[in-house]
Amino acid sequence: MRRAVLAFGSTVAGLILLLSFRSHSGTAASAGVGAAGSGSGSSASAAGSGSSGGSSGSMSGSGATAPASPSAPAVSAAPGSKVVTGDVINSPYGPSQVAVTLTGNKITKVTVLQHTDDGMNSQEIDGNALPKLTAETLTAQSAKIDAVSGASYTSAGYIKSLQSALDKA
Amino acid sequence: MATEQRLRHAEPVMGTVFSFDLPATAAPVLPAVLRWLHWVDATFSTYRADSDVSRFGRGEAGLADCAPELAEVIGECAVLSERSGGYFTDRPGGRFDPSGLVKGWSIEHAATMLTALGHLSLSVNGAGDVQCAGEPEPGRPWRIGIADPLRPGTLATVVAGRDFAVATSGTAERGPHIINPHTGRPATELASVTVVGPRVASADAYATAAFAMGPKARDWVEHLDGYEAFAVTPDGARWQTTGFAAYAAS
Repeated sequence: MRRAVLAFGSTVAGLILLLSFRSHSGTAASAGVGAAGSGSGSSASAAGSGSSGGSSGSMSGSGATAPASPSAPAVSAAPGSKVVTGDVINSPYGPSQVAVTLTGNKITKVTVLQHTDDGMNSQEIDGNALPKLTAETLTAQSAKIDAVSGASYTSAGYIKSLQSALDKA
Repeated sequence: MATEQRLRHAEPVMGTVFSFDLPATAAPVLPAVLRWLHWVDATFSTYRADSDVSRFGRGEAGLADCAPELAEVIGECAVLSERSGGYFTDRPGGRFDPSGLVKGWSIEHAATMLTALGHLSLSVNGAGDVQCAGEPEPGRPWRIGIADPLRPGTLATVVAGRDFAVATSGTAERGPHIINPHTGRPATELASVTVVGPRVASADAYATAAFAMGPKARDWVEHLDGYEAFAVTPDGARWQTTGFAAYAAS
């Protein structure tokens, strides 16, 4: 689980950097961000095609998780979802912090907890960023697979392969 | 309800590794299956001068002097070569080498040995080509990830099924090693192609043929009965045949 969280954290950090290099309006941010509606605790809808119904892979999600920073507002999660809160990032434009809701292996919601206030529309950024982030997290762990098919490997290649990691699990 | 215990085993053989995911109850019969795989290695290896394949290839031995399985393999190669318009061949570059079929054929035989003995839930992965049977645990299908050839360590997609095979051909580890038999040059139009269908021996050969034929692969697999394909092109785009969606994992 820790590895998945770390991989995930870097994705969240990537999103934060993306946000911090654009300016967006301070008041509109938390209302506009997240196609599914932010901060309302509504049940997460799976973005994109399909969902690993019920299974939450290595991120054993069960209900809401309080965010790490005590000063950040809580983001409630529907049953079967898990909220991962990123660290506060201090960019040249000010502090940024996001919370990402995972349902199974898909990011279903991004909530901006703290934001820079340079006046640009963050809604536009998240609409584009969200599907890409979801695609980037398709790893052997998050997809909960039993085996991997790939181009032929030798014994030496096997050692570095995803299949060898599964064989050891 | 107790969950059935599983056994995982990785066996280095044929210059690669065969991975098994079996019920724990199969443990007593696994050694015999592994011994058979090593026998296949000794008999069919093109790297051993004294293997049946090498001796037959040099004309030093006739089919009657070799293991009967050699004739079986040559026969299957002929069928698959015909079905693929020669893009799958046991004579790459003019030299007799049925290795392209032997790997998938041995995976399939190993799986059949186990299911014939009553071990109906299994997955056998030989160097990236997988044969599955039954269910890994009651109520859910096998989930097989397809490696993203352009981003090592990640998956391009996931397929799911019960009694099915997943075989992938691509450049990943060894560079462009698949030669287009009609041009004599390495095939480079696809980064990888994965064929899904009932039998891994056929899926393996079809994946190799599809990779060798490049842009013609999609139409060709579309017209192949019972098998579907998913491909990644060097620029990162994907295509898949019409029936592939039936295998998409939820």
